[in-house]
Amino acid sequence: MVLQPSERHYGDWNHGRLGPWCSPTGSPAPLSCETGCGEGSWILVCRLLFPTQVSLLSMEEDIDTRKINNSFLRDHSYATEADIISTVEFNHTGELLATGDKGGRVVIFQREQESKNQVHRRGEYNVYSTFQSHEPEFDYLKSLEIEEKINKIRWLPQQNAAYFLLSTNDKTVKLWKVSERDKRPEGYNLKDEEGRLRDPATITTLRVPVLRPMDLMVEATPRRVFANAHTYHINSISVNSDYETYMSADDLRINLWNFEITNQSFNIVDIKPANMEELTEVITAAEFHPHHCNTFVYSSSKGTIRLCDMRASALCDRHTKFFEEPEDPSNRSFFSEIISSISDVKFSHSGRYIMTRDYLTVKVWDLNMENRPIETYQVHDYLRSKLCSLYENDCIFDKFECVWNGSDSVIMTGSYNNFFRMFDRNTKRDVTLEASRENSKPRAILKPRKVCVGGKRRKDEISVDSLDFSKKILHTAWHPSENIIAVAATNNLYIFQDKVN
Amino acid sequence: MLGKGGKRKFDEHEDGLEGKIVSPSDGPSKVSYTLQRQTIFNISLMKLYNHRPLTEPSLQKTVLINNMLRRIQEELKQEGSLRPAFPASSPPADPLGSSYREAPPAFSHPAPAPCELGGAAPLEACLTPASLLEDDQDTFCTSPAAQPAAPARLAPPALPPEKDSFSSALDEIEELCPTSTSTEAAEATTDDPKGDSGGPGAHRPEGLQDGRPDDPKLMDSLPGNFEITTSTGFLTDLTLDDILFADIDTSMYDFDPCTSASGTSSKMSPVSADDLLKTLAPYSSQPVAPSQPFKMDLTELDHIMEVLVGS
Repeated sequence: MVLQPSERHYGDWNHGRLGPWCSPTGSPAPLSCETGCGEGSWILVCRLLFPTQVSLLSMEEDIDTRKINNSFLRDHSYATEADIISTVEFNHTGELLATGDKGGRVVIFQREQESKNQVHRRGEYNVYSTFQSHEPEFDYLKSLEIEEKINKIRWLPQQNAAYFLLSTNDKTVKLWKVSERDKRPEGYNLKDEEGRLRDPATITTLRVPVLRPMDLMVEATPRRVFANAHTYHINSISVNSDYETYMSADDLRINLWNFEITNQSFNIVDIKPANMEELTEVITAAEFHPHHCNTFVYSSSKGTIRLCDMRASALCDRHTKFFEEPEDPSNRSFFSEIISSISDVKFSHSGRYIMTRDYLTVKVWDLNMENRPIETYQVHDYLRSKLCSLYENDCIFDKFECVWNGSDSVIMTGSYNNFFRMFDRNTKRDVTLEASRENSKPRAILKPRKVCVGGKRRKDEISVDSLDFSKKILHTAWHPSENIIAVAATNNLYIFQDKVN
Repeated sequence: MLGKGGKRKFDEHEDGLEGKIVSPSDGPSKVSYTLQRQTIFNISLMKLYNHRPLTEPSLQKTVLINNMLRRIQEELKQEGSLRPAFPASSPPADPLGSSYREAPPAFSHPAPAPCELGGAAPLEACLTPASLLEDDQDTFCTSPAAQPAAPARLAPPALPPEKDSFSSALDEIEELCPTSTSTEAAEATTDDPKGDSGGPGAHRPEGLQDGRPDDPKLMDSLPGNFEITTSTGFLTDLTLDDILFADIDTSMYDFDPCTSASGTSSKMSPVSADDLLKTLAPYSSQPVAPSQPFKMDLTELDHIMEVLVGS
């Protein structure tokens, strides 16, 4: 498949070079971005378009078998669906940004280093490494395909020069090591420079190999594969604060792993009923406390959050705390249960609060108060009257994620029509922004958007009926210390920074 | 993109079918409530049975749709059991409700539920739904508070004999497929002794307090029952043909994922046996057996029984 040049340019930059994505050194002319301050004025730093699987395959050898295998297993459009971004995650310093897509690939971006001559280039992210994390598999016992889509990526804190991350699909978690190599040994005695063995008879002198600098190469190697521990689909992974263990959660069970041990895991939560016909509730997300290595939370499809302490018992089926908000009787409908299903749960950086995302709202809970959240933010309440249609077209099952900013003062989540929303917890102000190609010129300040819910539509407002429900922002990430955000819109990755003076 | 066709002109009616989800106590919206409920019911069924994913369906989605179906079933059951106008008023819903909760959610067809409770009455009502609409207004607006207890004590003389024949038919079916029908057969047999006693009246408030404060108002929305019967009956007719005239599907034993197991027949009907097998396989702890298609057979036979008993 031949891609049009316009589809492959690096964001909106018109440099004309069609460099391959996996080369970390290819960097086109960057956008210059102003740096300013002030919440509410965000500028586009760069937009990165994920290329199709085909273009990546052209770099590798077994292109034909892979194409055949994938088309054998999937009957949908092969070219573009694999590029849909399925997870976005900054590492602990914010220097690296990892994305996973539906085709099982992980692409890592690295922040441009600040330099004196080009100070305005700070804040841009370039491709650092690309690798195929998961492959599609086939479960012969059930005659079903196991998707290679990356559900979650979690970084480990950096302990040496290499970077480590966990990536997972529905069934298997893998630990990847991403390391740089900028020197290589030269001057072997028994091999020549191309690696061919030398005839020992021709060797007359001995020399000591030396390390010489080479072009930077970033290589990713799988260090551990944690497989065969989940019957159901993995929805969450979370690294413990002890940095020795992590947990993986599927629909009915949560397992605790040690990074060093791949053939064993401890089951710490099991909500599978003896009779599957009695099943009415599933686990939707889980996360470890950021500081207390014995505490974790998991959310359910019934809108409840359970906090568990692993010191209490080996199997944490009995929760320590149970968070549930009583249902508002004035808002009851057929879809009350479905829209209360929690799609994401995140601890605040301080560890004092948890944030949950259900279909229409984001809620902030204080760990010390179980009977109701301390804050509730309406993300897109205008959809409340459309729930039947959204149920019919399955949009009501979309799983939106939510993120905290570094100081826990602002929370962000996505919506439809490529909109995403930010809520300032202190000022109680909120803003709706759009991540779209048409509306974002380089360096332009993002204009706040507004959805009009009825009556006369003002200029620049969008009516609810003209929202595009196929353009949904499910995955966003916030830099751990700065006001830089990454927003995934289908197969585009947008990086925004707030305007600083 | 949203909604079902029809250009929307007026803001106040723009939601059309979905509309305001009002409590069904006010008159004209009663019908829209039941209409909406029926639509959601049908949509849920289609979702569960319609598609043949290459990958395992999402368990969360399946569970949520099942819960929705169960809730609607329970509502219908309680409505069906709170109809004092008809001689064949049902025994209390609670024992049925509890056992229904344990019935296979995705696989037991909801069509038998309201019909089996009402016996002959809903079938007659199928013929003249409009006239009965008018009847409902008079009968049910009188004493909503007393209704929870009243219907439970009504002992329809016509019911037990019909129930017996029906339950005996169910017993026969149960022999074919013990796992799925045992709960329903148990319901049928326990109904008869309890139908006459006042005991179930005590159960009624329990069932009603099950988190649904507007239950007394649900009794008014009778027409929905009839609509459900006819519309889901339509669905079951299609599957009946498919079951009767198609071979038992062996797609589970065929490892080639590319071939469509039952050929064109699966495309023609929204529900088919091999879809059930696929739905069953990932989550059922029971081994897939050739008797699985009988689960669908059961519901089709129920429908046939209702038609026969009614005529």
